[in-house]
Amino acid sequence: MAYDILLTIMTMVFALMVVFSKKTVVAAFSLLMTLLSIAMIYFQLGTVFLAAIQVLVNAGAIAILFVFVMMLINLEQFQNNRERSKSKLIISILTTLIILGVFSLIINNNIEVLSAVNISDNSMKTLFDKLFTEYYLPFEMATVLLLAALVACIVITGSEKGIKQEQEKLQENLNE
Amino acid sequence: MSSIYYYLAGFLFTLGLLGTIFKKDLISILLCLELMMGGVSLLIILFSRSTGLLDAQLLVFFMIIVSACEVAIGLSLIIALHRKKQTIYTDDIKIITE
Repeated sequence: MAYDILLTIMTMVFALMVVFSKKTVVAAFSLLMTLLSIAMIYFQLGTVFLAAIQVLVNAGAIAILFVFVMMLINLEQFQNNRERSKSKLIISILTTLIILGVFSLIINNNIEVLSAVNISDNSMKTLFDKLFTEYYLPFEMATVLLLAALVACIVITGSEKGIKQEQEKLQENLNE
Repeated sequence: MSSIYYYLAGFLFTLGLLGTIFKKDLISILLCLELMMGGVSLLIILFSRSTGLLDAQLLVFFMIIVSACEVAIGLSLIIALHRKKQTIYTDDIKIITE
C-alpha cells in the first residue's frame, strides 16, 4: 500500500518533469526515470520479465537514443519558447477532466473485477511456451520489423547526398 | 489496492497527449509519445493481472518492440529534417502546404 502510493507519486513527478522542464535534456532524463519507475511498478505487480525488458529496452536503449540525437543536432541553439495562452489552459483542463472522468467511471463501476488479483501461472516457462508456440508468427514478424526499422534508419540518415549537403551548409556557415 | 495504478495510467496518457498536442519541437513530441506508450502498457499489464491472461504480457512485449522501432525511425527522420531545413520546430515545417 505504502509502496503503491510512493511509486505513483514518483512516476507522476517525473512524468510532469518530462512535459514541463525547460531543457529538453532534462526532459529526456526525466523520461528515463519515468520508465524506470514504471519498471518498478511492473516488478511490484509480479510481471518480472516485462520489468527486465522495460529496463533493458525502454530505459536503456530508447531514452539514451534521445540523448544521443540531442547531442547530434546541437540543441543549444534551440530555445524552448513557451507562450502561455488561455485556450491552451482551458483545453488542457477539459481534456484531463474528460479522460480522468471516464477512467474513474469505468474503474468505480468495475472495481471488484479490476482490483482482483488473478495470476494463474506467472512463471517464465509458461510465458515462453506461449511465445514460441502460439505467438510464433508475431515473434518472427517482430524480427522482420526490427530489420526493416534498421534498414529505414540507415536509408534515411546515412545517404551520402545528405551528408554532403550538411557538410556544404556547415562550410557556408563557417564562411559567413 | 492496486487500483491507484489505473489512475496513474490515465494520468500518464493524458499528460502525454497534451504534451504531444502543445509542444513545439519534434524531440519533445516524441518524448511525450513515449510517455503515452508507457501509460497504455501499464494499463494492459493491470488488465492482465486482474483477468489472469498471460497473452496481455506478450502484447506488451510486442508493443515495446514496436515502440523501439518507432522511436528509432522518428529520431532518424528528425536528423534528416535537421540536415535539410536546419530546424526541429513544427512551426517552421510547411512542406505539405508549400
